[in-house]
Amino acid sequence: MDPLILSLWLIRFAFLALLYLFLFSVVRILLRDLRVAAREPSTQLGRLVVVASPSEEPPVGSVFALDAVTTIGRDVNNSVVVEDQFVSSEHCVLTFRGRAWYVEDLGSTNGTFVNSSPVDGTAPLGFGDELQVGNARMRLERAHR
Amino acid sequence: MTNAAAPARPALPPIVFGGIRPRARWREMWLLLIVALTLYVGSISLGATEAAAAGKSLTLSPAEDQPLAIYLGALLLAHLAQVVAGRRTDQVLLPATAMLGGISLLLMERLPQSLVSQSFGGLDLGLGQVQLLWLLLAIGLITILSIVVRSDSWLRLYKYTWAAAGIGLLVLTFIRGEDVNGARLILVIGPFSGQPIELLKVIMVVFLAGYLSEFRPLLVEQDTRVGPLRLPPLPYLAPMLVMIALALGIVVIQRDLGAALLFFVVFLMLLYVATARAAYVVLGLLLFVAGSYLMYRLFGVVQDRVDIWWDPFKDPSGNGYQIIQALHAFARGGILGTGLGAGLPLVGGQPPIPAVHTDFPFAALGEELGLVGVLAILGLYLVVIERGLRIAAAAADDFRALLAAGLALVVGVQAFIIAAGNLKLIPLTGITLPVISYGGSSILANAVVVGLLLALSDKGVEPPPPPRAGRRFARLRDAVGGRA
Repeated sequence: MDPLILSLWLIRFAFLALLYLFLFSVVRILLRDLRVAAREPSTQLGRLVVVASPSEEPPVGSVFALDAVTTIGRDVNNSVVVEDQFVSSEHCVLTFRGRAWYVEDLGSTNGTFVNSSPVDGTAPLGFGDELQVGNARMRLERAHR
Repeated sequence: MTNAAAPARPALPPIVFGGIRPRARWREMWLLLIVALTLYVGSISLGATEAAAAGKSLTLSPAEDQPLAIYLGALLLAHLAQVVAGRRTDQVLLPATAMLGGISLLLMERLPQSLVSQSFGGLDLGLGQVQLLWLLLAIGLITILSIVVRSDSWLRLYKYTWAAAGIGLLVLTFIRGEDVNGARLILVIGPFSGQPIELLKVIMVVFLAGYLSEFRPLLVEQDTRVGPLRLPPLPYLAPMLVMIALALGIVVIQRDLGAALLFFVVFLMLLYVATARAAYVVLGLLLFVAGSYLMYRLFGVVQDRVDIWWDPFKDPSGNGYQIIQALHAFARGGILGTGLGAGLPLVGGQPPIPAVHTDFPFAALGEELGLVGVLAILGLYLVVIERGLRIAAAAADDFRALLAAGLALVVGVQAFIIAAGNLKLIPLTGITLPVISYGGSSILANAVVVGLLLALSDKGVEPPPPPRAGRRFARLRDAVGGRA
């Protein structure tokens, strides 16, 4: 075979092979990322991040991992205890039903607010929304993945 | 219940000048090295083929090494800028985009340079050089966006403003635009001209992400009941439907069918991503079938496109010419391709496909790189989509998740629509192959997408701002001194 044509062929295939080497390297990185993500427990449904808390309990910046039912109030038996004079002992409850989060006001004295509009009974809650009980404000975030 | 009181990330100022900590990015460096090597070998292959075709002896030097060297140098600078900035952003997106851009550069250098000629200050530039210029601008744009953007509130808070700007741009194009192949596509303002559709696709994703993230809880759970039927909550869907219908209507009147298809598909995908309700998708597809049938009956353009797609050989030298040439190109390419520089024999000094650099680069690549190469290119688009969806899955709130998913999907869907059009899988619609096609608007718009995705992928990014209404009321309440 003509050496000219042979070398042309070789260079062509080298280009295609390098394209696939690139794809292979990328896919290896993607797989490693996926495996790391899969190893971390993803049983969390969401997180509650404290944005403002004048009473310092809980402190600003603390993060609560959420179960399907999370009660919020001043009483120590609540999942999230907010030590604030404007918070009722059993203030509200966060529930995850099927596809979305809901907050239900448990007849608190000063009310529960989502993005600063008062909750009348039950209200849906999206990730990134802000929940206010008393003077404490908390943001619902997706769990780390 | 675990009351893990981990300290939250400190809030970063929007732009950081002092206190920058460089961070090595080994994965990106390694991938960029492979990109450089691949493109260099590709350039040698192109040069050797062209030399052999000209009857010269074999030389193992690149066709034109200057443009490639400039391109790779710009990539190196972009990488170093990322390292110095020290953000923990994605390390795969830039190399994947760079590979697509590099393939575009090789292709544009290889096509007849006379397809495009522009002169800047007495300097006459051909197709390859103009494309190189756009690619360099795109790399700059990606780097700036991925380093500077630390907060997404400027996108999140002004979704209606963005939507209004987008509609305004459409109307402006409709009134003042210029026609290309029977479609009103190009807007000329002073010395600048561009395809607003490309920018519009980004604006549309921003609006949809903002709207859907705000109303997601309502869209997921509530229904409008009409007798026994459970329909989606129409009051919450209506504003978005109006916006989409308006955009689609104008786009269809402009005869830009590719953009209309792209917008509709991305809209349905984002609706599904936000609500996980298959009913929406089914409803949307039914609407799509009905709408397509209506358009087929009403518009001559749609009828022409479908007829060409159904049987291009009915009019092989007229309407069906381009698509037949594209099919021949794929056939000539076969599995391994003819090799870079060996395809597309010129007919009278022109390539057989007139719009090869804008609408048919996929056919040209199919000829020169074959099935194997084309699959690799589709794989690169899949990588971009995968990264976007991973960034979405890792996002802390709905807006960022929907934005990342939407940005990745808009690029991916566009690539697959035009690739399918080139392959005569669906009627051909004139949109660009992202990053590979020639054209400033297209390349820069996709650079905005990649830059935003990189910025969103930062794990230490500023937490989302509180919803706007909330902040205003909260300030009022704090001023009053709390509610007792």
